[in-house]
Amino acid sequence: MKNVRLWYKKEGLAKYGSHLDLVRCFSRAVRRAQIPIWYTEGFNPKPYMTFPLPLSLGQQGVHEPLDIRIIDDISYDEIVNRMNSALPIGLEIVSAGESVMDSKEISFAEYSVKLDFQSADKAQYFAKQASAIIAGGELMAEKKSKKGIKTVNLCEMVQDFCAEADNEICEIKMIIAAGNTLNLNADLLVETLEKATECEDYVRSIVREKLLTKDMTDFC
Amino acid sequence: MISKKLEHILMRVQKPGRYTGGELNSVIKDKSAVELRYAFCFPDTYEIGSSHLGMKILYSLVNARDDAWCERVFAPWTDMEQLMRENGVELYALESGDPIKDFDVIGFTLQYELSYTNVLNMLDLAGIPLRSADRKGLTPLIIAGGPCVCNAEPMAEFLDITLPGEGEEVTNELLDLLKEHKKMGSDKETFLRAAAKIKGVYVPSLYDVSYNDDGTVKEVTARDGAPEKVEKRIVSNLDTMFAPETFVVPNTEAVFDRTTVEVFRGCIRGCRFCQAGFLYRPLREKSPQEVERQCRAICDSSGYDEISLCSLSISDYKGLEELVTNMLPWAIDEKINVSLPSLRADNFPKDLVEKLNSVRRSGLTFAPEAGTQRLRDVINKNITEDEVLTASRRAFSGGWTAVKLYFMLGLPTETDDDIKGISQLAQKVVDEYYKNPEKPKGKSVSVSVSASPFVPKPFTPFQWEPQSSRDEIRRKQEVLYESRSTRKVTISSTPPESSFLEGVFARGDRKLSKVIELAWKNGCKMDGWNEHFKFDTWMEAFEQCSIDPEFYATRRRDYDEVLPWDHMDYGIPKAFFVRESKRAQEGKTTANCREKCAGCGSDRLNGGVCNEKCKTVV
Repeated sequence: MKNVRLWYKKEGLAKYGSHLDLVRCFSRAVRRAQIPIWYTEGFNPKPYMTFPLPLSLGQQGVHEPLDIRIIDDISYDEIVNRMNSALPIGLEIVSAGESVMDSKEISFAEYSVKLDFQSADKAQYFAKQASAIIAGGELMAEKKSKKGIKTVNLCEMVQDFCAEADNEICEIKMIIAAGNTLNLNADLLVETLEKATECEDYVRSIVREKLLTKDMTDFC
Repeated sequence: MISKKLEHILMRVQKPGRYTGGELNSVIKDKSAVELRYAFCFPDTYEIGSSHLGMKILYSLVNARDDAWCERVFAPWTDMEQLMRENGVELYALESGDPIKDFDVIGFTLQYELSYTNVLNMLDLAGIPLRSADRKGLTPLIIAGGPCVCNAEPMAEFLDITLPGEGEEVTNELLDLLKEHKKMGSDKETFLRAAAKIKGVYVPSLYDVSYNDDGTVKEVTARDGAPEKVEKRIVSNLDTMFAPETFVVPNTEAVFDRTTVEVFRGCIRGCRFCQAGFLYRPLREKSPQEVERQCRAICDSSGYDEISLCSLSISDYKGLEELVTNMLPWAIDEKINVSLPSLRADNFPKDLVEKLNSVRRSGLTFAPEAGTQRLRDVINKNITEDEVLTASRRAFSGGWTAVKLYFMLGLPTETDDDIKGISQLAQKVVDEYYKNPEKPKGKSVSVSVSASPFVPKPFTPFQWEPQSSRDEIRRKQEVLYESRSTRKVTISSTPPESSFLEGVFARGDRKLSKVIELAWKNGCKMDGWNEHFKFDTWMEAFEQCSIDPEFYATRRRDYDEVLPWDHMDYGIPKAFFVRESKRAQEGKTTANCREKCAGCGSDRLNGGVCNEKCKTVV
């Protein structure tokens, strides 16, 4: 028995699926690909797979981890090839390897955000205002957690934030808190900024570029 | 593909994955290389529709042709519909994203009457005129199939063509004809007249209906060479019949998300309330080898870990033991769960079911349908109380602690004693549990009784019967709830309003088209969903059209009345239903097809069990 960390992309049409849809999709792909995966031993045996940090519906990811456990020896390349012939449009395994770090080490995530405001003026206005708000250090929002709703200052969870307008589109590069202990949903940050600036995007694209540890090295 | 406008909408609706396509095994073709575009529409949500086997069959069948591309369309949920209308997005097909109004054929499957307003809503959302007469061009051609087209009269004004019976062969014949007429540049009239000559094609506009003063049908006359009687189509050999080898695998959750393979069509039983039991006659079986091969193929291509064998009354399948025995080794090995729906209590194969449950254990359901032997004889559900109790005993000794029992309320000749009989039978099932010496310690038993209002349907011996009024059903529900003697039994029933409407349309005529249209205009849609069912709006629509719905639902019809569906021929002559109706009144049962041929007339359709009989009779 051996743990394997797969790195996958979730792009295009696949972004419209929820995390639950993604789990279903991968468990079927594993079956189709005939990966010798270990099954859970409950009343309802399921292929064992865990997602260190699920992506929200609507968000894309280019280097996302997925841990599986296999019972027979099979090369990493073989897993990647077989999986990719079994996945639907928008999902792709980029690589497979050992799981080096524990998922607890995830502390930050880097995002590329594109907000289409359908107006160059608005995009510019938003970029300026949003940057100012983040620099100001206070942006309060209600955040849902398992313990209930509480009001938090989102700025405390923003490590790095750079917004620039390119015609009608405002592009944001940001690094924000991620992981089991402290997590900020990129959608919540964008939405709160839009509310504060009274700008509403027409189309929003959020791509998670990578996951980072607390000392800003790549999670691997 | 997804436009910016659509992307804008999709991020603002619930479960956008339903509207994007891109599922595994969905078929993408080069549209410039096909001659026919076919939009297969299911008039309900993606979750419901993508579970439907008929759609999977016809999708694969049409896409097996090089000259045609079949795509899927479902009814958008109300949030999506609203945003589509606000943003000027017309109803589109999932594979290409192209608006379906430019397609050649738009096919609906009519599975239940309460989806009729969704058909109208989808046409409207597509920007297509609702009425056949208002659509002047040859295409898009609006066609429909499914069990409800045995009496599609209430929808007759909207549909160009219906296909009574099984679609595997007639669909291709119709597409061939359309292709030819498109090339010739025919007008719609010419094409429809030609189409009506194909066996199994009904063109409502070629039939004139006249009425008597009392509102009943006087006469239905065919014109322009259309046949007096429209014969249903059946496929005689299920082993060589087209069957899909791959399923589109929904990206988002569907109601039944699994491998489903048909085991046989038709039923030998002849339960008098059951429309399916008569519509799909005669019984034709697929060989166990072929069923197994198809199960494997679909599991391999889909990754599903669940197989459902599909048929009416599956324990009547002669190859069941062989099939299950052959399938189990690989199913267990690959952790695939196999389930058998529609088990009968009188030949419940306990050992088989136990074997099947070695992967995952599912619930157990029996359908005695009525609470007393007298009433079960009336409906010809040839199951005895002993058989129900024996089956329950076996289930309990096999480790089950929950049993579901299905019944109907408002069956012909039903008395309050029959209703109380439901509770008594449920109580006896509970008692069986406690008689079992091996019952698991500290575990209680749960018996769920579901009692749905009975709706008389065309092509059954009960097609002349009055449906119980809404008040009567409510009273009967009270009697049932009050007769319950233990809390180990839970009882559920549905409000009578939706069954009432179902009954009106099931036995309705063409006059109802305007009611459906008006109700839809006034906001009725998704009628099958409790949260959207607007009974009062429906009643207002009936009133505004000066049509009394009770005329269709709660009126007793005479045997010699012309019924709105008399010009449809499902192989069984009216005389047989009259005979069965009289036997029902006398409480006499009729043997199943394998015991003794009841002479229903289906033998002329040349298939399955009828031929089987001839061999044994000699």
